[in-house]
Amino acid sequence: MFMQLTLSGLSQGAIYALIALSLTVVYRATTIVHFGHGDFVMAGAFVAYVLTVLLGVAVLPATILAVVVLFLLGLCFSRGLIRPIRGGPHIGFALMSIAIGYVFRGIARMIWGREVFPMPRLFDIPPLFIGNLVITGDALFMIGTTAVMLIVFFAVLILTDMGKMIQAVYQSARGAQLIGINVNRFNDLTWGIGAALGAIGGVLIAPVSLLHPDLGASFLIKGFAAMTLGGFGSLSGAVIGGLVLGIAEQYCGAYINSALIDITAYLVIVVVLVLRPHGLFGRKTIVKV
Amino acid sequence: MLSSQHLKLRTGLFWSVPVVLLALPLLTNDYTQYVFNSILIFVLVTLGYNIVIGNLGQLAFANTAFFGMGAYASGLAVQAGVPWIATIPLAGLIGAFGGFIASAVALRGIRLYYLAIMTLAFGELMRWLYIHAKDITGGTDGLALPVQSVFGYALTSDSVKFYIFLAVTVLLVKATLNLLRSHWGRAIMAVRENELATAALGIPTARVIIMAFVWSGFVVGCAGSLFALHTSYVFPESFGMLHLIVSFAMVLVGGPGSVLGAILGATTLTLLPEYLRAFPGMEELFFGLIIIAVLLVLPEGLASLLRKISPLFIERYYRE
Repeated sequence: MFMQLTLSGLSQGAIYALIALSLTVVYRATTIVHFGHGDFVMAGAFVAYVLTVLLGVAVLPATILAVVVLFLLGLCFSRGLIRPIRGGPHIGFALMSIAIGYVFRGIARMIWGREVFPMPRLFDIPPLFIGNLVITGDALFMIGTTAVMLIVFFAVLILTDMGKMIQAVYQSARGAQLIGINVNRFNDLTWGIGAALGAIGGVLIAPVSLLHPDLGASFLIKGFAAMTLGGFGSLSGAVIGGLVLGIAEQYCGAYINSALIDITAYLVIVVVLVLRPHGLFGRKTIVKV
Repeated sequence: MLSSQHLKLRTGLFWSVPVVLLALPLLTNDYTQYVFNSILIFVLVTLGYNIVIGNLGQLAFANTAFFGMGAYASGLAVQAGVPWIATIPLAGLIGAFGGFIASAVALRGIRLYYLAIMTLAFGELMRWLYIHAKDITGGTDGLALPVQSVFGYALTSDSVKFYIFLAVTVLLVKATLNLLRSHWGRAIMAVRENELATAALGIPTARVIIMAFVWSGFVVGCAGSLFALHTSYVFPESFGMLHLIVSFAMVLVGGPGSVLGAILGATTLTLLPEYLRAFPGMEELFFGLIIIAVLLVLPEGLASLLRKISPLFIERYYRE
C-alpha cells in the first residue's frame, strides 16, 4: 500500500515537476510569474487532441506538432503582448498572463463546452507487476518522459553555450545585455520554451485526467505549490517540490481523507509561506537599503 | 491644486449623483432595475478590489473569497433568524477577517507574487469549504434566503432593494474616499510607490498592507451580503474563476487606483456583457480580451479619459 501510494504519487509529481519547472524557467528569466500557464498546458493538450482525433494524425507527430505550436504561441505572447507593456508597473505582466489564459479557456469552452473528452495515449504500455505492486503504463511513461526531459534540460543548461547564456541572463539581465546577449530575443525564446514544456505536461496528463477546458487551472496551482515548496526560482527545487507534492497528495488522500487530495496543494502553499517563505531550497533574499 | 470653488463644485457633483439616482426606479422596469442593482453590487466589489490592486499595487486573488464569505455569512445569519439588514455589517466584518487572514503573511515579508499565490490558495480553500461543509453551507446546492423585510416592508421588489443598495454604496464609497485621504490611505499609496522608502519614514509597511486588505475585505464582504439578497440564493458557482476575471477587468477598465474608475468600470462592464451569457466561454474570452486591450491601449483606464476632460475628476490624495 505504502509503496503503491509512493509510486502513483511520483507519477503525478513528475507532471507537477514539469509544470513547476516550466513556470520557473520563465520566472527566472523574466521575473514574471505566468498565471496563465495552466491554460497553455490545456491548450497544448487540445492541440494534440485536435490533430489526433479530428485530423487523424498519428499520436507521436501530433504531440511534436503541439509542442511546436505552443512554443510559437509562447513566443508570440512575449513578443506581442508582454514587450509593449514593459515600461509599466510589474503587476501589468501578471494581469496580462491571467488575461491570455482566460482567452484560451474561453476559446476552448466555446468549441468544446463543458464536456470531458478521453485523450488517446502516446504509447500503450502494459502494466508492470512487481510482487503485489502494480505500476501502470501511464505512471511508467510519465516518470520516464519527465526524467528524460529533465536530464536534457539540465544538460543543456550546464553543458552548452546556450545554457551559459541562460544562466547569465538569470543572474543579471542588464549584465547579460552588456556582454552582447540579446535579452529581448532571449526572453521571447524563454516564453516559448516555457509554453513548450507546459504542452508536454498537458499531453502527458490529459490521458489520465481526461481533457476539458478547465484542465489548466488545477494544474497551475499544483505548479505553484511545487514552486513554493521547492523555493521560488530554484530549478532543481521546482522538480523536487513537484515530486514531494505528488507523494504528499497521495498520502493525505489515503491516510487522512480522500477529499484532501484536492486541497493538499493549497495547504502546502499556506503552510510553506507561513513557516518557511523561501521554501526548501530557495535562497533567502535580504533587502538592503 | 484645485481652487476652493472647484472643490465645492466637486462635492456638489459627488452628492448630486445619488440624489439623481433616487429617481431611477421610476424609469425602470423589473429587468433593468435588476441590472442596476447588480451594478451597485459590482461597484462595491470593484471598489474594494481596487484598494489592493490599484492603491496598494499588490496582486491578489482573494477578492472572490471575500465576496463569497460575505454572502455566506449573510445567508447563514438570515437563516439563523437575524434580519437581513443587520447582517450587512456582519458580512463586512467577516470579509475583513478574511482580508486579515489572507494578508497576515505580509508580516513574514511576503510580497507581490508570493502574496498573490497565497491569496489564490486562500480563495480556493474557501471555495472548497463552501462545497464540502455541506451541513452548514448546503454544499453545491447552496443556501436559499427566505423573503426579507425591512421596517415592515417585504423586500420583494427590486426598487426597494435599490434604495438600500444605494445607501450602502454611497456610504462605503464616501468612507473609502475618506480612508484614502487619511494617514492610512496615503501610507497605502506610498507602499505602492516605494515600500523601502516608506519603511524608512517609520511607517510599518506590513501593517499598512494588512490594513488595505482588511478594508478591501470589509467593502467586498458588504457587497457579498447585498448579493445574497439580490439573488436570494448563495451557491459556490457564483464565487468561482469567472467572478475573478470579471473583477480584474472592472478594476482595469475603470482605472486602477481610482475610486471614480471603480464606479465607471463596474458600470460599463455590468451593462455590456448581459447578452454574452447565452454562449459558453464567451464571457471568459470577452473579459480576457478587454483586459489585454486596456493594458495595451489605456493602462490608466476610463478614469484617465475623464481626467483629461476636466480637472474636477482628478483624484489627488496628497498636496503638491
